Amino acid sequence: MDRQELEKKILELVAVSYKKDPDELSLETSFKKDLQGASVQMVALVAEIENETDACITLQDAAACETIADLVDVVEQEL
Amino acid sequence: MNILDTIYAKAKENPQKVAFPEAANEKMMQAAYEAGRDGYIFPVLVGNAEELRALAAERGYDPAVFTFVDLGDEEYKTKIITAYVAREDTRLKEKALARRMQDPLYYAMAMQKVGEVAVTFAGIDNTTGDVLLAGQMMIGLKPDISTVSSIGLCDIPGFEGSEGSLLAIGDSAVCTNPNPEQLADIGISACETVESLLGWEPRCAFVCYSTLGSGQGELIDKVTEAVKIAQEKRPDLAIDGEFQFDAAISPAVAAKKVKRESKVAGRANVVIWPDLNVGNVAVKLIQQFGRADAYGPMLQGFNSVVCDCSRGAPVSEIKGNIIISAVRAAGMKK
Repeated sequence: MDRQELEKKILELVAVSYKKDPDELSLETSFKKDLQGASVQMVALVAEIENETDACITLQDAAACETIADLVDVVEQEL
Repeated sequence: MNILDTIYAKAKENPQKVAFPEAANEKMMQAAYEAGRDGYIFPVLVGNAEELRALAAERGYDPAVFTFVDLGDEEYKTKIITAYVAREDTRLKEKALARRMQDPLYYAMAMQKVGEVAVTFAGIDNTTGDVLLAGQMMIGLKPDISTVSSIGLCDIPGFEGSEGSLLAIGDSAVCTNPNPEQLADIGISACETVESLLGWEPRCAFVCYSTLGSGQGELIDKVTEAVKIAQEKRPDLAIDGEFQFDAAISPAVAAKKVKRESKVAGRANVVIWPDLNVGNVAVKLIQQFGRADAYGPMLQGFNSVVCDCSRGAPVSEIKGNIIISAVRAAGMKK
């Protein structure tokens, strides 16, 4: 999976986990400011990432991401 | 009969299977053994079965008390995975689940999710964060519950409340600064916890520094909003507020301050704090000045019972918490 495919996949998974329209999201979307999700949504997202990309990331690493682009970086490092 | 004796008696009537993913730990194995030997639970040790059997023998425990589940038993693992992924309310798919199940904590929780055990008991080697994450990922939160939280059960000498010397309080340990929705969920979960553990009819008061509009400000607004949300979500439960603490638990004070009908005012058996600052200070006050025993924290909000024990806890406390968890699990099955 190249970087572009991974970005597209992560955006899709964020949209599913946070119940957002994919068109509302970009790589610059901030988890805290824009999505304001509960930890349970981040757990759902980590599980989806494991299912769909084979990257096993920790919740702590995911929760530390400011933006979706940061999360793509974390997942890319695990692949 | 004190409250622990009552809970212990309930456990013996209907012993549950409890999984121990940290059974190699000496204190954990001893607590599991004693709880099993005395007939409160059926302990299931999850890990390297050969190593666990050797440790049990070395420590002088009768192996017949335990069931051993070996992480390397591929046939059993496949059975668990198949049952787990077939459920609609699980997140992980086969491959990701198999990978997670290399960790005994996740293995045990997968067993719990598919009904092979009633509870997973951990927290002595894993951190609270590890247990909460595994619980959220493997067991999941109840539908309509947005946050993990906890309650404690206080046995306060000299207190003559609606449940004698007992009072359930929450959250004093987990959810730091709940928003109104989360605060509402803490109250709802607390009602379910006391129902399943103690068979109480919950009367749940949300407390702060105002009684029904006697004070004003944003700290109060959060609590009144939480009460409204909780009442709308669960009209079947007796949830009320906002009350000051004395108006919640003292009939005499409630008679003066609460001028409308309330099932809860003056006779609350569950008290919900507005945030963790209040909750933590309050439980310390109850312990220090009230000379109370505080049992817990009992985690709540999950689809089934998830436990986390303190790493510094002595064996007697771990055993008590194992038995409390087993009784909660039995109560939730009803």
